[in-house]
Amino acid sequence: MLDELYLFAVLAGTRVAVDAAEVEAVVRLSDISPVPGMGAHVAGLSALRSRVLTVIDVAALVHGKPMPAEARRLAIIANISGHSYGFLVDSVLDICRVAEGPAPLRGQLDSAWAPHARAIVENEGQPWLLVSLAAFIEGGALAQAA
Amino acid sequence: MDELLQEFISETQETLEALAGEVVAWEADPADSDRLDAIFRFFHTVKGSCGFLNLPRFERLSHAAEDVLSEIRAGRRKADPATVSAVLGVMDRIGELAEAVAVGAALTSENDDFLIAALTAQEEAPAAEAENVAPVAVARQASAQSGPRTIRLPLTLIDQLMNGVSDMVLARNELSRKLRERSADPELDNVFERLSTCVADMRDIISKTRMQRVDRLFSAIPRMVRDLGRDLGKRIDLTLEGGDVEMDREMVEMVVDPLTHIVRNSIDHGIETPQVRRAAGKPEAGSLRLEARQSGNQIVIAIADDGAGIDTARLVDKAIAAGRLTPDAAARMTEQEKLDLIFHAGVSTASKVTAISGRGVGMDVVRANIERIGGVIALDNAPGRGLCITLRVPLTLTIIPGLIIRAGGQHFAIPRAAVVEILHDNNDMLQVSEVGGAKIASIRSVRHSMIDLEDVLGLEKPAQSGPRAVMVVRSATGVPFAMGVSAVDNHEELVIRPASPLVMASGLYAGMTLPDNGKPMLLLDAAGLANAANLSNVEDDRASRTQESAAQEDGVEMVPALRFEELSGERRLLKLSLIERVEDVDTRLFGRSGGQAFVRLDERLVPVANGLWQFDRPSVAALRLRDDRREACYPVAAVLDIVEMPAVPDMVAMHGMLSGVAVVDGEHLEVINPFALFAGLPDEADMARVRGRCVLADAEDGWTREILAPLLRQAGHDVVMGLPADRAVEPDDIVLCGGADAAQAAEIMGCRVVQLRASPRPVGPQDGSIYRYDQAALMAAIAGGRG
Repeated sequence: MLDELYLFAVLAGTRVAVDAAEVEAVVRLSDISPVPGMGAHVAGLSALRSRVLTVIDVAALVHGKPMPAEARRLAIIANISGHSYGFLVDSVLDICRVAEGPAPLRGQLDSAWAPHARAIVENEGQPWLLVSLAAFIEGGALAQAA
Repeated sequence: MDELLQEFISETQETLEALAGEVVAWEADPADSDRLDAIFRFFHTVKGSCGFLNLPRFERLSHAAEDVLSEIRAGRRKADPATVSAVLGVMDRIGELAEAVAVGAALTSENDDFLIAALTAQEEAPAAEAENVAPVAVARQASAQSGPRTIRLPLTLIDQLMNGVSDMVLARNELSRKLRERSADPELDNVFERLSTCVADMRDIISKTRMQRVDRLFSAIPRMVRDLGRDLGKRIDLTLEGGDVEMDREMVEMVVDPLTHIVRNSIDHGIETPQVRRAAGKPEAGSLRLEARQSGNQIVIAIADDGAGIDTARLVDKAIAAGRLTPDAAARMTEQEKLDLIFHAGVSTASKVTAISGRGVGMDVVRANIERIGGVIALDNAPGRGLCITLRVPLTLTIIPGLIIRAGGQHFAIPRAAVVEILHDNNDMLQVSEVGGAKIASIRSVRHSMIDLEDVLGLEKPAQSGPRAVMVVRSATGVPFAMGVSAVDNHEELVIRPASPLVMASGLYAGMTLPDNGKPMLLLDAAGLANAANLSNVEDDRASRTQESAAQEDGVEMVPALRFEELSGERRLLKLSLIERVEDVDTRLFGRSGGQAFVRLDERLVPVANGLWQFDRPSVAALRLRDDRREACYPVAAVLDIVEMPAVPDMVAMHGMLSGVAVVDGEHLEVINPFALFAGLPDEADMARVRGRCVLADAEDGWTREILAPLLRQAGHDVVMGLPADRAVEPDDIVLCGGADAAQAAEIMGCRVVQLRASPRPVGPQDGSIYRYDQAALMAAIAGGRG
């Protein structure tokens, strides 16, 4: 558990840490084709070479407020049960090892984040919420779709 | 070690699959030493490897089987059915164990001693067994004994390869765009051309790695046929053909279950027992034939047996008993429609539930499974003589012909197979009406639910200058509906890939595709759209049925009726079931004879029900009516639509051809009385008399005999060869002749004459003859003169 590699990013205005094992890449998205008939949390489809990503608007999933179209540039790519997803992020800051590993949650967590945050990761003297990308899909998004 | 074990297991499983058919074939022909050797080799290999891998149960089983087989090879023992069953039993157990090892589950704990005892036991009552023996003769057409050299590859590697090639194709496309932007350089173009060809070839080859021989689909069949035949005491000759046809790996998986089900059905319900077959004069062994072939981009799999076929009358009875059909609707059904009942849930001809089939999983599931993969299932039923079921499935799941449509400023794809027709909304045949928020599109007087794709998907409907396109969409299971879109842009072969579960969960999409422009496009799911729009999934006929029953609760039975406008201007109703079709008829074809109006249709004279024969227009819409025996024509001014009318008119007033007045949509309409209508037709015999006879004067002439006479008979005329010598011709008779002499002679006798000539041109202005191949003029001359 110790000495794990994390990706630190700003997701829906919140500092988060993602286990680097979940992350395939961080890319700039060219074009997002919307998927009508779906909730706002599915921003659309985007092609990454010959792969098609399902782009998830995490802000819409967490706060119910979709990200403005012009801000939808950067995405974390992850492969979750055989399908490629892109998670829209505000910015990506760093990838580094955290010697201490995750610490238990402290403080009163915003109810919007409560279902998604699993722990706290300390980096550069600041706490970051540890989130799981797969959980966004399996927990939140699919449940909303159904 | 783990790797070795893995390899052993997958090799064993694969050989088992391939061998199942061999064992059955070997049973049919125990002298076939090649097959015996192959089976022997299998057990020998298993025995050898598992000693090494420390798998004692495998070893014990394969050792016992090997012993028995080597005795058979040495000729000390015969391959009787009991032995074969025992060998098969051991193979099954080895398969189970291998499966358990593969998934890391606990080994099944059944005792192997029983199986081994069955192997070693010498047959005790061979005579009793002999009667029930049902060896399955398997005829495989041209199967090569030694396969090509192969290696094993993990599937993921192939998928990666596939993705790599797709990336390459996209890069090529981008490069091509970039090249076009520059000034032309022939040398560069040449090199690029070569690269393109290589990439295209590569893509073709890679897509072939997805293909698999249909043999794999067939491999389990012989064993199943054998076991079922034995269980049911039926003898079956199985023929497998076309095993070398290739189809997509995933497709093979999708077809296995439906195919298995059909074969089971065929053996259980189709092929009769030897006794029954003998009584019916058929060979004792039933024939079951599976054939696969490629036809265009489809694979056709035909399953034919020579059994009892489907008893449609029983199907109908069952459907009525199950309350899915009213006897009235059943009476109107064609044979094909009755046959289609087998695809309805809960209808089966099996009189009792057996272990083999008829367990609720019916043909409805088979059809749903086939249609889910874009396939079609068709039945060719010959009651008492057999049934042939044809499955047509696309070659691959991943490439389908699709239409690119535009809606709400976005592009979507829809499978070509789901689209019945496409119209523009300014087409006359299409009328869109709105009621209570529901849109209804009437296309050629068939009413469909209408949705706009933008509404279903929640898109803006941008203003557009041209007409919108309306497509009639038919999902695999539902009823057709009309769907409005901005435009239909293109027709393309689409490479479909699965969409993420998240997108699939919306139920609107069936997948996605990445066209050359690099913008992902969604593939619409027709059934999903209908669901999302809450369209009723009730078939037209069922709609009328439910309305019927709903109306019955109110005490009024409703029947579908055609609303039309008479030539005299009144609007009337006629029960729809009497109308065979509606067509435009040339008014010159109408005529009158003996006070009765006729129209010449398809070279036959058909009585005109409302007695009209003179019209002020060149053609007239005509209803073609039919009771069980007679047909009639009913010219009208216009066909309006199909409505529900009460079976008994709201006001009964029998008067001539009318039975009363019905109120439909607030309009009072006169209802035609079908009884009076058909009763008013001239008698069949009358018609023959009225029609008169055609007397062919030149009876000796070959052309008259061989060509003219059959033509006239076909058209329903009485033909008399040669001028009657004994009695005078009747005044109604028509004499057809070639020469002017005969014409004069006939004219003297006082009947009408039609003179025929061999040359297309008349010889002079006085020439009243008709060119003998001018069929229209000839028929008109025969019919017309009788006014």
